[in-house]
Amino acid sequence: MSWFDSHLLSLLIFLPLVGAVVVALLPRAEGGQHKAVAFVTSLVVFGLSIPLWTGFPPGAGAKTQWAFEQKAAWAPTLGFSYHVGIDGVALLLILLTTILGPIVVLSSWNSVQSRVKEFCIALLILETAMLGTLAALDLVLFYVFWEAMLIPMYLLIGVWGSERRIYAAVKFFLFTFIGSVLMLLAIFYCWSQSGAAGARTFDYTALLQNAQFTAEAQRWLFAAFALAFAIKVPVFPLHTWLPDAHTEAPAAGSVLLAGVMLKMGTFGFIRYAMPLFPSAARDWAPTLAVLGVIGIIYGSLMCMAQTDLKRLIAYSSVAHLGFVMLGLSALTAESVNGAVLQMINHGISTGALFLIIGYLYERTHTRDLAAYGGLARVAPAMAAVFLVVVLSSIGLPATNGFVGEFLILIGTFTAQMGAWHPFNFEIQRGVALSVLGATGVILGAVYMLWMYQKVMFGPKRSAATHGLADLGGREWATLVPLLALIVIIGVFPGEFLAPIKTPVDDFIARVQGNGGRRPDQSGQPVRPRALRPSFDIAPDARPKPGVLPGQLLPQRPSIVPQGNGQ
Amino acid sequence: MNFNPNDLVGVLPAILLAVGGIVLLTSEVFLRPLPDGAPPDRRYQAWLAAAFAALGLWAALAQIGDPTASLFSGAAISDGFGRVVAATVCGALVLSCLLAFGYLEALRATRGEFYALALFSAAGMCLLAQATDLIVIFISLEVMSLAVYCLTAYLRRGKKPAEAAFKYFILGSFASAIFLYGAALGFGATGSTRLVDLANGIQRVAANAPNTPPGTGMLLWASVALLTVGFGFKVAAVPFHMWVPDVYDGAPAPVTGFMAAGVKAAGFATLVRILVVGFGDPSAAMGPHGWQTVVAGLAVLTMLVGNLLAVPQRSVKRMLAYSSIAHAGYLLVAVAAMGNAASRPDALQGLLFYLASYGATVVGAFGVVALIERKLQASGGTDDLSSWAGLSEQHPVLAAAMTLFMVSLAGVPPTAGFMAKLFVFRAAISGDLIALAIFGVLTSAAGLYYYLRVVVYVYMVPQTKPDAVAGGRVFSAGLALAGCALLVFWMGLQPGSFAALAQTAVQGFGR
Repeated sequence: MSWFDSHLLSLLIFLPLVGAVVVALLPRAEGGQHKAVAFVTSLVVFGLSIPLWTGFPPGAGAKTQWAFEQKAAWAPTLGFSYHVGIDGVALLLILLTTILGPIVVLSSWNSVQSRVKEFCIALLILETAMLGTLAALDLVLFYVFWEAMLIPMYLLIGVWGSERRIYAAVKFFLFTFIGSVLMLLAIFYCWSQSGAAGARTFDYTALLQNAQFTAEAQRWLFAAFALAFAIKVPVFPLHTWLPDAHTEAPAAGSVLLAGVMLKMGTFGFIRYAMPLFPSAARDWAPTLAVLGVIGIIYGSLMCMAQTDLKRLIAYSSVAHLGFVMLGLSALTAESVNGAVLQMINHGISTGALFLIIGYLYERTHTRDLAAYGGLARVAPAMAAVFLVVVLSSIGLPATNGFVGEFLILIGTFTAQMGAWHPFNFEIQRGVALSVLGATGVILGAVYMLWMYQKVMFGPKRSAATHGLADLGGREWATLVPLLALIVIIGVFPGEFLAPIKTPVDDFIARVQGNGGRRPDQSGQPVRPRALRPSFDIAPDARPKPGVLPGQLLPQRPSIVPQGNGQ
Repeated sequence: MNFNPNDLVGVLPAILLAVGGIVLLTSEVFLRPLPDGAPPDRRYQAWLAAAFAALGLWAALAQIGDPTASLFSGAAISDGFGRVVAATVCGALVLSCLLAFGYLEALRATRGEFYALALFSAAGMCLLAQATDLIVIFISLEVMSLAVYCLTAYLRRGKKPAEAAFKYFILGSFASAIFLYGAALGFGATGSTRLVDLANGIQRVAANAPNTPPGTGMLLWASVALLTVGFGFKVAAVPFHMWVPDVYDGAPAPVTGFMAAGVKAAGFATLVRILVVGFGDPSAAMGPHGWQTVVAGLAVLTMLVGNLLAVPQRSVKRMLAYSSIAHAGYLLVAVAAMGNAASRPDALQGLLFYLASYGATVVGAFGVVALIERKLQASGGTDDLSSWAGLSEQHPVLAAAMTLFMVSLAGVPPTAGFMAKLFVFRAAISGDLIALAIFGVLTSAAGLYYYLRVVVYVYMVPQTKPDAVAGGRVFSAGLALAGCALLVFWMGLQPGSFAALAQTAVQGFGR
């Protein structure tokens, strides 16, 4: 690996921080310069992330084969090191982050007028923390970045938010922090079990390979990790901070919160909680799946009751993240592939929704749904863009949302999760959950189209009569990349499923396969044959039977859409 | 008893500090009023005091790798543990002198005694960290305490300082008496005031050696309880914490910062020496777990009460006072983890790191408070959170610094406070004190609320009053705050070098 390759991630992570320092040194009065520096920095960061995509080695992420890996001494006597590297899942999320970076700076060009300097610094530090969280391969490093995300986001909500911003900011910080501290203790426990005194380590790779926990310990450790991640996702019933935070945050904060930070929770499940404690993950999976479905339905129903635009979108996030949780906990190749893709999709679609609503708010200074109406006649371009984004959020075929939800539901349908037996009647859990999840798709269409209709059609109401301007050039520039991605992912999902194939296969093998123990002398865990991203029927691609109860379900062929150009 | 002059080198930091105090006091004699009748220029005093404190710091750090040596026939010891504590104390003193400079100048209250008293108390703290004999511990304790009582009352304006100092003095003397009684009982049980002899006596009792008078075990129990109470007072452990809010509130802010950092460091150093060296393995002589249970119970109470009582505070100083009680609780978790031989090295290292990081953070926090207090003292305003509203608009750097210190106290990365909690709770986990660790992190999460409230006022509540901070000399305060902030970041991002220092200290932790 060349010097550039092995330091690329570090450059990516710390460049925004350098940008923040530069902004801090600029004179206070020069608001334009602050924005310019922040924009250019985040644009360069995006540019640097392109080699990650183009140079991503196929098959990276299998067990401990990280791409763009870099390991440097940090505090060797203490057992933690600076260790970064990515697999396909982290790659997609990093790209999502770097794409949203310049977009949020550009989107808040006019809307943020007070304390621009601090705003830019907070945004850039947040980007560093988010990228670091995704790239970290050491549990302490991960935790440091994970918590470091909180402070800039807390300030973004609390300083530049709307009326109830302080309440929302404190609630956001307290919820996520309280969830995280128990994870910290669990990390320490992992460390204390990682070897003899003096040789203990926080390194994720080493823990994955060597650490062995009893089923009892796994149950508690998984619970501690899962609590931290579930609050971040947020999984019902830990979601109450989200509507407040989303609603009160400035547009840029909402975009980053929805686009990237929520994914940190699901990313945490797929990267840390489930692979580290596989037996506990299997035990907890049905519970998490049920909570995911509750999130889908509850979130959708709550959306219908909202009169505040941003709150509506916030609850739709609860529903969409419910899909992701369902996909992750169904533990089939299709559903996990779909969940990862849906993480990206939600970032793009909901990010775009928050951008558009931010632009509307800039013009009308209201988020009240009742104040809107008839905008399509005043601002046709905005209406068109809004429609595409809404359709993507619903999951219309040929948009990105369709692929993710389809894979999740089909994967859940075939999942061997055991059965419920109400009234001597056997219901396969996978089937029941996917059917219930599918109702969420319908409900999603209902509330989204209903919202779209209220805002865009009908008679012109007060907000629309102010001679509302259509999208400007700067606003187009922020929306076009997201629109393009919506269509590209919708039409060529294989391109995006290809890099996550290996990590997802490995994830399934680890969690379903052998409980994280080493079954044979070679040190290679037994794993089922990997799925190919093709329409080939892979009859034995199901996880090994005998691990889970409920094998009454006949083996089904599994289907993953074919990658473009493969 | 033979006096070996070479032993003086072992207590060099304390000697340098004491000499500094004497020099400062003496220099007062030669001051003359200026020609126009104005009081003499005393600005040199802060810098001189800081220089002596820096010398003490240098002396402590220069000896850090030296072998452990017993001094004065076993009355004191020169080991890495004592040196690191001395370095922490001296470092806090350097920063506090710089902070006090502008504060006292602004209030026109600079006098030589202030810095001399601070230096004397620091000398007492350094000796306390090195003492291995109960009598020497008592003398050092009083050297430290008397100077701190005076510093508390130093400002002599209004009722608050006098009340604070009086309360501190009465309760402190009470605690000293309890300590003495414990020492006497220990002497009665083992026939010596040396900690090592105490340990040997306990071993004899544990082995049921012949000639052990009946009831010796009971005496030892009473002794350890009383000694713990005595130092529980000094380190502000619940239920011996009643003095803390009043004293922290009444003392001048720079003094409070120094007190929080220094007295706590010295108190914990001595507590650890008494418990670990004097009473040794907790299971010996006192049943399974012995003092570990007592300390763990104190830790639970301290963390709970400190954090809960800090929540309703509207005065930042009082909030920091209760927060200092809470931090004493986290430190007690480390002390409890020393009960297990397996986790003792980790716990010792964690304690030292925690003391240093807490010192840097709390001195910085009180430094910012001092800048606010200057103005309030002059204008007669109340010390309420509302005085902090809108600080970020007028003084963005100060606001950022305060946020950093609050975040560090709350234990959020990437700050020193996070790394310190990492060390301590990690040690607790490896010492099988999992329930205690869970309790600790949960209370620390609750503590986040009141630290965040300061940040809310600093950044999010719009300014109502004109200017929160007085002008005047802020250069030295800025220097000190920059130093604190640098330390907080450095220890948070590069804990390796500090941990290595603490590691050497642990290796040399001798009996």
